Amino acid sequence: MLNAHSMHNIEAAFHKAIRAHWVQDPADTCEITPLICEVIRDQDEHKMLLITISSFVFRLIVIFGVTEDSATRAYYLHLDAAQPLDEVLGEVANMCGGALNRTLAANFSHLAMSTPCTLSGQCMPFLDKLRAQSVSRYAITINGSVRIQAALCMCCLEPIEVADEPETEQGEPCAGELELF
Amino acid sequence: MAGNTTEATADGADKRAALLRKTEHLAKGIADLKALAVAFERWHEDMIFMTGQSRSLNRMGEDLSRVARQMIMVSLNAAIEAAHAGHIARGFVVVAAEVKNQAQHVQALSGDMCKTLNTGELTTTATFQDIQAGGKMMMAAISGLELMVKQLRTELG
Repeated sequence: MLNAHSMHNIEAAFHKAIRAHWVQDPADTCEITPLICEVIRDQDEHKMLLITISSFVFRLIVIFGVTEDSATRAYYLHLDAAQPLDEVLGEVANMCGGALNRTLAANFSHLAMSTPCTLSGQCMPFLDKLRAQSVSRYAITINGSVRIQAALCMCCLEPIEVADEPETEQGEPCAGELELF
Repeated sequence: MAGNTTEATADGADKRAALLRKTEHLAKGIADLKALAVAFERWHEDMIFMTGQSRSLNRMGEDLSRVARQMIMVSLNAAIEAAHAGHIARGFVVVAAEVKNQAQHVQALSGDMCKTLNTGELTTTATFQDIQAGGKMMMAAISGLELMVKQLRTELG
């Protein structure tokens, strides 16, 4: 249903979107490493942000596992401490999903993205119940202290092909910067 | 010759009028389809309600699990006290053991219930999001059709 090259292109677009939106300052460090299984953290603080990108032949479920700890709070609320953290994280997830959606839109004429939903972190161990053909999990570490989990669950009804992202004149793969939802 | 031209003009006008009628019919169909947005909004509200219900049930399951843990502790204390009391409290040891068994059973059941609810919350939310995105796809396709009708109207005058 989904060949390795297409999955690689989706993952590359996802990693680029993570670096563009979850990282607040280009000078910050960001490590993205594959996870074999999800890390269970304190259940009360751990939340799961869910976004679905759908076409007629597939749905891609984009998941972020966030912990409302002091490091995350300090990193994402540095500009406006009055704003609720879950709102800020929801916005960041939305922007990141939107960037991935735009990359995929180059390959599929009919594509749309849901609004983000926040679920309890206790839902995280049950990703296999989504009956996805492919589940990729990642651990994201920003500046060595902010830890986020991410997952891509791809459910295909037909074989799909995701082409390489076209490069800009500077040799960088291009993606729009404007986000309208 | 003039007669043929007049007939051709009349024929052209008839075809144009027929096309206009069809265009208006199409425009009405599209306007009806746009009402789907109301249904999508309704599904959204229902989904938020269902998710809220699921979370309430989850909290109840966790409370139940906490109560069961406390019952296990109480039953253990009761068993210790009964052992201190000696032969006279032998019956009470049996009761305390049974309370502990039942509490452990409740704890296991509430754990299973929470797992089922979490799975349900995840799969329901993902399905809802798929429907929501599908709705957006449909609305985009309808907007495309609407634009085509607008262009047709302009071309037909």
